[in-house]
Amino acid sequence: MNSRSRIYSLSVLILVLLALTLGERFVLAQGSDPGSPGPLSVTREEYNFGDTAFNPTGFPGPVELAASIHYPTSLSAGPYPVILLLHGRHATCYLGGTALLQWPCTQNGSQSIPSYKGYDYLSEVLASHGYVVVSISANGINARDNQVRDLGALARAELIQKHLDILNGFNTTGGAPFGTRFVGKFDLTRIGTMGHSRGGEGVVRHFVLNSAQGSPYGIKAVFPLAPVDFNRFAVNGSALSVLLPYCDGDVSDLQGVHFYDDARYNVAGDLSPKHYILVMGANHNFYNTIWSPSSPFPGSADDWLAFVPGGHSDGQCGTIMGNHRLSETQQRGTGLAYMAAFFRAYVGGETQFVPVLTGDAPPPPSATTNELFVSYHAPDDPDLRLDVNRLLDSTNLTTNTLGGAATPTDLSPYDLCGGAAPQPATCLPGEPNARQPHTTPSARSNKRGLSQLRMGWNSITGMYGNELPGGTRNVSGFEAVQFRVSVNFADVRNLDDMAQELRIVLTDSAGNSSSVRVGDHSGALYFPPGSVGPVPKVVLNTVRVPLTAFQGVNLNTVRSVQFKFDQRAAGALLITDVAFASAPR
Amino acid sequence: MKLIRKDLLRKTYLAAACVLLISAAGTQAAAQSDAVLANVMKMTGKLIAQGKNNQPIGQFNLKTYRVEEISLQKSVAVELQGKLVNVDRAWRITVTGGPFPVRALPAVIWIGDVPAGNGAENERLSEISVLVFDRSLLREGAVIALSYGENKNNREELPEKLRMTGK
Repeated sequence: MNSRSRIYSLSVLILVLLALTLGERFVLAQGSDPGSPGPLSVTREEYNFGDTAFNPTGFPGPVELAASIHYPTSLSAGPYPVILLLHGRHATCYLGGTALLQWPCTQNGSQSIPSYKGYDYLSEVLASHGYVVVSISANGINARDNQVRDLGALARAELIQKHLDILNGFNTTGGAPFGTRFVGKFDLTRIGTMGHSRGGEGVVRHFVLNSAQGSPYGIKAVFPLAPVDFNRFAVNGSALSVLLPYCDGDVSDLQGVHFYDDARYNVAGDLSPKHYILVMGANHNFYNTIWSPSSPFPGSADDWLAFVPGGHSDGQCGTIMGNHRLSETQQRGTGLAYMAAFFRAYVGGETQFVPVLTGDAPPPPSATTNELFVSYHAPDDPDLRLDVNRLLDSTNLTTNTLGGAATPTDLSPYDLCGGAAPQPATCLPGEPNARQPHTTPSARSNKRGLSQLRMGWNSITGMYGNELPGGTRNVSGFEAVQFRVSVNFADVRNLDDMAQELRIVLTDSAGNSSSVRVGDHSGALYFPPGSVGPVPKVVLNTVRVPLTAFQGVNLNTVRSVQFKFDQRAAGALLITDVAFASAPR
Repeated sequence: MKLIRKDLLRKTYLAAACVLLISAAGTQAAAQSDAVLANVMKMTGKLIAQGKNNQPIGQFNLKTYRVEEISLQKSVAVELQGKLVNVDRAWRITVTGGPFPVRALPAVIWIGDVPAGNGAENERLSEISVLVFDRSLLREGAVIALSYGENKNNREELPEKLRMTGK
C-alpha cells in the first residue's frame, strides 16, 4: 500500500471512528443549507390532557393542554435539544364552513381548528437533524384573550411553562401517553422557542417569566415570527431573531421590530446576538399551513388581500402583474430556512449557520428567494462590537458614542427622530404608523420607538463623519463596519423605484483612505416598494461591509468613518447603529 | 385646540375597557382586574340604545349597534386619570356584522374620534363589544366605527350614528 493509499485509509478510519463516537451529532454537522431535510427519520405523535386542563392566572376561561411532538425515531442518541412552537390568534372551532371563537368547541358538532399543526413543515426538518420539536395548542387562550388587558401575553407565557413542566416530567420519570420512552431524551438546558403573531409576544413574555422564576429551563433562543408587541417586554441574555413580513396584512405595522430595537442597548454586557429578517414578499398567515388559503379549515385567508382595503392593486404585495408576493410554499421556505438556521446555530451549536443569520452568507436555497434583508446586532462584547455612534440622543449629533466628533457636512435635515422625548415621536410626519414600524405606538405601553438619524443631502458634497478617538482606533479585530439604514420614501429627493447609494470611507492616522460603495455589498438602500395602505414602509436594515474590502488603510489606526453622499445628486436616509462588529462565536 | 385635544385624550383614558390596577401586587392585581371586567362583560344589561340597519356594508359587513347599561352589584375599582375610582355602572357598546376575522390586532370601537377600547368578539363572530365607564363618551349623534389596531385612518363607519334616545 503506497503512502497516498495509507493516508486515504487512515482518513476513512478517522471519519468512521468520529461517526461512531459522536453519532448523530457528527452526521448533523454536515450540509450547508439549514432548511434541507436531515438524515434522521422522524416520528410525529401527540399528547392531549384535555380541553380544560389548564387555567392561566386570572384568565377568564380554561385552556387545553395538547401538543404535537416530532422527534428522531430511533432516539438512540440524546438528550436532544428542544424547540417549542406556539401559534397565534386564530379562530378556534368550526362547524361546516363557519369559523367560531369559543372554547371548548361546544356548538353542536363543532370541532377544533388545529392551528398547532401549522408548523409541521418546520418540525419535521428540525427533528430530522436531531431536535425534539413540540408545537402547542392555544385555542383556549385565543377564545378569550381580548378580554384581558395584556391581550393574553401572560397566559401564553404560563402555557409554555406548563408544557415545559410536562416535558420535564416525560424526561425524568416518564408518563402517559409515552411511558418511559422520553426519559433522559430531552435537554432542557438547551431550548428554543418560536411564537407566531400573538404567540410571538407569548414566547418573549415566557422568556421573561422563566427568568423571573430563576430560569428553571434553559431558553437559549427566542424567535418571534410576525409578532405583535403590545406590552414591550424585551429579551436579553438569549439569542433573538424576529421575522417581519413586508406584506403583513394583519400586523401591518410590523410592531415586532420593537423586540430588536428595545433589546440592543438596554442591558450592558448582554452577550446575546440579535437579528431580524425582513421578507419582502411575505404576508402574515402563510407561515401557518392551517391559516393559509389552501387549508381546508374555515378562517384561513391571505391576510394582505383580506384585511388591506385595495390591497390587491399594490405592485409589491398585491395580485397585479409584476407583484413580488411569495406563494405559500415559497414563503414557508423563508421561515424554514431562517428559523432552522437560528435554532440549529444557537440551540444546537451548529455554528456553520451563523453567517446566514448575520447576512454574511446569502439566503440558502431552502429560503426560495433572495428578496429579503437580514439585520444583525452583535453581542455587547468588546471583541465583537465597537459602537461608533448609537445615535440615541441629541449629544450623539455632535459627539459619538466613542467620544469623538460627529460631523455633518452639507446635510439637511440633520436631526434625531423616533426616540425618547424631546425627539419627535415619528420620523415621517404625516405618514401612517404602519409605514414606520420602528416608531409605531404600542397598544399596552407608552414606550417610544427607535431613535434614528434623519438626514439628507442636496449635492454631492454631503458627508456624515464620525471620528474615532485615540485608544479606539484599532478595528483590525472586527470583521465588518456596519450600520442600519432605510431610504426615506417620503422625501422627494429620493426617486421612486431608484436605490440610493453612498460610499463608506475609512481613514487611518497616516491619512490613508479607502472607500467602498454600499451598493457593491448590500441591497439595503432600496426604495421602499408599494403604494397601498401600510406600504411603502421604512424598515432600517443592516448594511455590513467586510473590512477586507478596504484596501490600503491601516485597520490598526482607523481615525474616522465617513459616509460620503457623492454617488447621487440628492437623497435622504434614516440611519442608526454605526459600529464595527463581528459575528458571534 | 389644545383644550379640545386634552379633552379627547381624557375621554380616551376614561373609556379604556380594561385597566391596570397599579399596586405592589402588580400581576395579581391585574389578574383580579381582568377577571372582574370579564365578569362584567358577561352581565345582562339594560338596552338603552339600538340601531336599526340590517344591510351589511363595507369590509367588515357592518350592520348596526346597541348600547346596554350594566348596573354592577358591587362597585368596581378602575383607573381613571391615574387614580383608582369606584364605579357602579358600565356601558357595553356592541357592533354587529361580520363574520369578523379573528386576527392578531384587536378590534377597536370608536365613538367619534375617541377609541372606546379593544373589543371582544362573540362566539359566532357576529358581534364585537367593549365596556366603557364614562357615560359622557356616548355622545348623541357620534359616528360609530370599527378598526383593527388603533388605526384612525382605516376605520369603517357604521351607517347609523349613535342615537341614545332610540331603541
